[in-house]
Amino acid sequence: MSAQPEAKPPQVPQQQAQQAQQKQESSLSRKLNEMKTRLNVPVNVKVESERRATIEVDKSNLLAVAMALRSIGFDHVKTVTAIDYPETETFEVLYHVSSYTDFELAKTIVTLRTKVSYKDPTLPSLHPVWESAWTGERETYEMFGIRFEGHPDLRRLFLDEDFEGVYPMRKSYKVKTEGLFVDRPA
Amino acid sequence: MMDILQDIKYVIFYPSFFVMIIFPGLIAGGLFVLFAIWFERKIAARVQMRVGPYYVSRFGGIAQLLADAIRVALQEIIIPAGVNPTLYVIAPIFPLLFAFLPLAFLPIGVIPEQGSVFSAYYHSFFDPGVNMGVIAALPTEYSLIAVLAVEAAYPIFIILQAWATNNRFALVGAVREAYLSVAYDVLILMSVIATAVEYHTLDVAKVVQSGIPGIVANPLAAFVFFVGLIMATSRFPFEIVEAESELVTGPATEYSGLLFLLAMGGSYFGTYVYALYFAAVFLGGWYPLSGFPGAVILFLKAAVIVLFSVFLRSVYGRYRIDQALRNSWRLLLPVALASIVLGIVGGWLWIR
Amino acid sequence: MTAQPNVFTMDATQIDIVPIEGELNVGPQHPGSGHLRIYVKLNGDIIEKAELDVGYVHRSVEKLAEVRNYMHLIPLVERPAILDSIHMNLGYILALEKIMGVDVPDRAQYLRSLAAEINRIASHLYGTGILAVFLGHSTGFMWGFGDREVWVEVLQALTGARVTNSYIIPGGVRRDLTPTIKEMIEKAIRYQRKRIPEWKRIFLNNPNIRARLENVGVMSKEQAIAWGAVGPNLRGSGVYYDVRKFEPYAAYDRLDFEIPVYKEGDAYARVHVRFNEIEESMKIIEQIIKEIPQGNILSDRFFKQIPPTRLKKHYETHGKIVFPGYYASFRPPKGEAISRVEAARGELVYYLNSDGSPKPYRLRMVTPSYRTIYVFEQLAKGARYADLVAIYGSLDYFPPEADR
Repeated sequence: MSAQPEAKPPQVPQQQAQQAQQKQESSLSRKLNEMKTRLNVPVNVKVESERRATIEVDKSNLLAVAMALRSIGFDHVKTVTAIDYPETETFEVLYHVSSYTDFELAKTIVTLRTKVSYKDPTLPSLHPVWESAWTGERETYEMFGIRFEGHPDLRRLFLDEDFEGVYPMRKSYKVKTEGLFVDRPA
Repeated sequence: MMDILQDIKYVIFYPSFFVMIIFPGLIAGGLFVLFAIWFERKIAARVQMRVGPYYVSRFGGIAQLLADAIRVALQEIIIPAGVNPTLYVIAPIFPLLFAFLPLAFLPIGVIPEQGSVFSAYYHSFFDPGVNMGVIAALPTEYSLIAVLAVEAAYPIFIILQAWATNNRFALVGAVREAYLSVAYDVLILMSVIATAVEYHTLDVAKVVQSGIPGIVANPLAAFVFFVGLIMATSRFPFEIVEAESELVTGPATEYSGLLFLLAMGGSYFGTYVYALYFAAVFLGGWYPLSGFPGAVILFLKAAVIVLFSVFLRSVYGRYRIDQALRNSWRLLLPVALASIVLGIVGGWLWIR
Repeated sequence: MTAQPNVFTMDATQIDIVPIEGELNVGPQHPGSGHLRIYVKLNGDIIEKAELDVGYVHRSVEKLAEVRNYMHLIPLVERPAILDSIHMNLGYILALEKIMGVDVPDRAQYLRSLAAEINRIASHLYGTGILAVFLGHSTGFMWGFGDREVWVEVLQALTGARVTNSYIIPGGVRRDLTPTIKEMIEKAIRYQRKRIPEWKRIFLNNPNIRARLENVGVMSKEQAIAWGAVGPNLRGSGVYYDVRKFEPYAAYDRLDFEIPVYKEGDAYARVHVRFNEIEESMKIIEQIIKEIPQGNILSDRFFKQIPPTRLKKHYETHGKIVFPGYYASFRPPKGEAISRVEAARGELVYYLNSDGSPKPYRLRMVTPSYRTIYVFEQLAKGARYADLVAIYGSLDYFPPEADR
């Protein structure tokens, strides 16, 4: 439809982009790759830009990767996010980690992604590694029903008592909208 | 006809009745407490760039407090489940009563043999200490101590009140009151002992009639007593018992309507009575006037003290209970001891 | 036999405390709780454990985001923290712009910083006011809210609304800065500069307030990092971290300002950080007013796309951006983005996942107060009961923001 503005990639001048590329090679990507070689477990490191990187990891290696990340200076978790994919019956859990102490790493946010299936929605808790994951893991547990094993206080956080057994952030939980405004069909 | 009027006049001005009910007791005191609360709100508003009470009555909303009092008094009284209803209802009366009763022993003026409306009672209210009559509900030569003795019962009834409401915030407030009362009672008592030693008497009237205000004779005692007064009556910065953000309203948490008014009125009445006492002992009281004009002077001095102590709300926050206790035991107790020494020295060298 | 402790030198915490245990339900109907329940386990006057029962003002922003269009989400995401709505709005728009790949003109960038800093001052004054009333200091409360009013008025003149401004839109901002508003801002800065010494006299240097805040709720640097503290609380514990410096957004890379950091880590340091930030924010605002470049306040892309009658002419006559209604259902490309901004209470992180439909597949909103929940629980342990409110106020914890 004509109404939709088409998306263009951000227009970064060529030179700037190259500089960013070099810098990226020098700090974040180097550190992550070093970590990867040291770790000896299959991880998929993808550095998207100077400030963002993604590490995909199997849930069995999550704890080890988290430990390794902490040892290179990532000292806190910013968010714990889960995403529900009903088609593949999996949840994706994202830990966005960064650093306060290391000024270079503080400029970056690294996403630690892992997948769990509907059948066995358990993950090792990263609370022993990063205490700051406490709130996020609790919320993810109550909203998605993903159990974080080893979390010291895995109880529901925000919701009422009558939400027991229902996980509202799963896609299967439909929000009843009241139709106060009408969207045009896309 | 004239006889009846004379009789009525005699009854009305009979000191035991006049002091307790009319002036400076219930009626004048009640109106003044309302005025003090109005003043508290108005002066705080002034400091805080607000207007404060405004609409009720022409003059700065002065009737606002009367309106508020009537509204609160007519509210429904809710008695929570799980309390003893009788105890619950009578409990808030005691603190108010015991904040008010000490007034009975406090002389508010002296009676000259002739020329005053009170002269008719000269002989029945004769005080040999000052060789004059005194305007007091129960004239005694031990008024300096008697007032404090009755006032000291006040915290016990606060605790009773908290206990009767079966509320945890009230209980925490009561425990705080218990801790605090030990601290401030000691301070007040020591400063009064200093004064008694200095003036060689336990009679307030004699202290006043000596013509030397206590604040001149023993400024340390006056200071310690004033801090004790603020602590005892829960004024800022020692508004620890009712600490709103911590304990809702402390011992008065569960009360509503008229009972709430009674529960909260106690501390204001307490301030008023303590202030009268302070004005008599430390600010020269009614001296050199006598009779009714003297009582008015005393009242005005007390009013200044009350208004100052409520003004502190707009300057200070509240201390923590441990800080208040530490300050009173560690900082003020030595000052109180010093005031006793000063009292002994002053009584030995200066005041005979 | 051990020596008797010296009563005059020992600290209150050294005194043996007879264990009297009990629980207090502070909230949700409590003058000192706000919209949450704090389950306090007491031993005497010492808090053994404080558990935050949050969620009383849970708006389920994240779930509602699945059924709202991107445009409709702008007013929704700023509801959780209406005092800080510019930042809530800005963070969301930054994430959205990253997915859409929109470039924002310079003038709009400066205006974003301007609105954000005004909002930061207003929010800090609000926080200080709340802290003051928690300590029983009613003057600080009234002054905080009174002074905030000045900045809210400025914000209203700039954005058209007092609190829920919805000022920032994809590609720019809604309204332009006019000379009248400039004058208003200068006046507000003059006023606030005059007021800060008065604040110091009655609040910051008040012996009573100092006694209540100094050495209360002490958070060491290591603890602050481990617990994931944010914003002024983090900087009050000696950690130099501010998103405006580490990942400059809006116009912050072109502005000169400093980040106040205190080493003490107690409640008093946190209050000081806020006051210094107010001063820094005023410096930033002055620079913005001086240096703001001329130009459009909306991305050229939108001006090209939308017919002139709908957007350009309206903008030229009224100085306001009004998107045509069909913009409500635009579709960004597939992708995901993380954005972070330094909101008044700390770092605000948005994670946005788009599947190409007009509605986000997943919106994750992690607010500063949300991250303060854990900090609060940890700090309250071992504190005195009366310090609970001092810690609460000094952390500037705002329940609706945490619940979202």
